[in-house]
Amino acid sequence: MSHTLQFSVPLFLVYLALTGNVEPANLVVGALVAVGISLLRPKMDLPLIHWRRLPQFLWAGIRYLFIVAGDVIRGGLSTARIVLDPNLPINPGIIAIPSGTQSELGTALSAHSISLSPGEMVVAIDDEGVMYTHCLNVDDSERMVADAQNLRKSLLSRMFE
Amino acid sequence: METVLQLLAFLLLVLGTLFSLIGVIGFIRLPDVYTRLHATGKVSVFGLVFLLLAADILTPLATWKALLLIFFVLAASPAVAHAISSSAYRTGVPLVGKRDDLKGKLEVGQEKD
Repeated sequence: MSHTLQFSVPLFLVYLALTGNVEPANLVVGALVAVGISLLRPKMDLPLIHWRRLPQFLWAGIRYLFIVAGDVIRGGLSTARIVLDPNLPINPGIIAIPSGTQSELGTALSAHSISLSPGEMVVAIDDEGVMYTHCLNVDDSERMVADAQNLRKSLLSRMFE
Repeated sequence: METVLQLLAFLLLVLGTLFSLIGVIGFIRLPDVYTRLHATGKVSVFGLVFLLLAADILTPLATWKALLLIFFVLAASPAVAHAISSSAYRTGVPLVGKRDDLKGKLEVGQEKD
C-alpha cells in the first residue's frame, strides 16, 4: 500500500502541473488517475522511504537536482567549445568507472548523472556495477570522475538508505 | 516588466537556436557515432532547454508545463544516448580512439539476450 502511495503522490503532482487547474473536480480526477496508474504498474524492487526520513530525502534530492543542473550547463558549454574549436581537441575512448554500489537503482542513477556531466556517456554496465563510459577526452574525465563520483554517491546513499 | 520579460525571452530564443546549431555542427564535425552522441545529447538538449524556457515566457502555457517538459527532457536524454551507444557497440560499430576498456567484455556482433 505505501509503495502505491509513494508512487501515486508524484504522479498526482505531475498531473496537476500538466493540467494547471486546481478545481475540486480536477483534483478528484487527478487522484483517481494517479492511484489507478500506480496500481497498474509492474512489480518493481524500489526502496521504501520512511516518513521520518522524508525531509532528508527531499533535501538530498533538491541538492542532487542542482548538481545535475550545474553539470548540464557545464556539459553543454564545454562540448560546444570543443565542437567549435578548429583543431577539434578530442581524445575519445571508453574507460571503466566503478559505481561503488550494488543496488540497481543506485547504479542507474549514477549512470544517468554521469551521462549528463560534461564529455561523458555511459555505454554499458556490467553485473558488478562497473560503468563503461565513453569520454570525449579520456585524461580529463579520469581526473574529474573520482571527485564527482564521491559527491554523488554520498547524496544518493542519503536518499536511499 | 513586460518588456524586460520579452527581451529575456528573445535572448533565450537566440541562445537556444545557437546551441541547437552548434549541436548540428558537432554532429557533422565529430568522427564517430559515440562522439556525435555527445554533440546531440548534450549541446542540442542544452539548446532545447533554452527554447523551452523562452516558450514558457512567451506563450500562455501553464507555467509548470514547460518546466516539467525540461525535467522530462533532462531525464530522458541520457537514457536515449545510452541506448543508442550501447546498441551501436553491440552491433560492432567501430570506435575512434586508442583506449577501450570495454573491449572483449561484451559479445559484439550479435544481440545480447
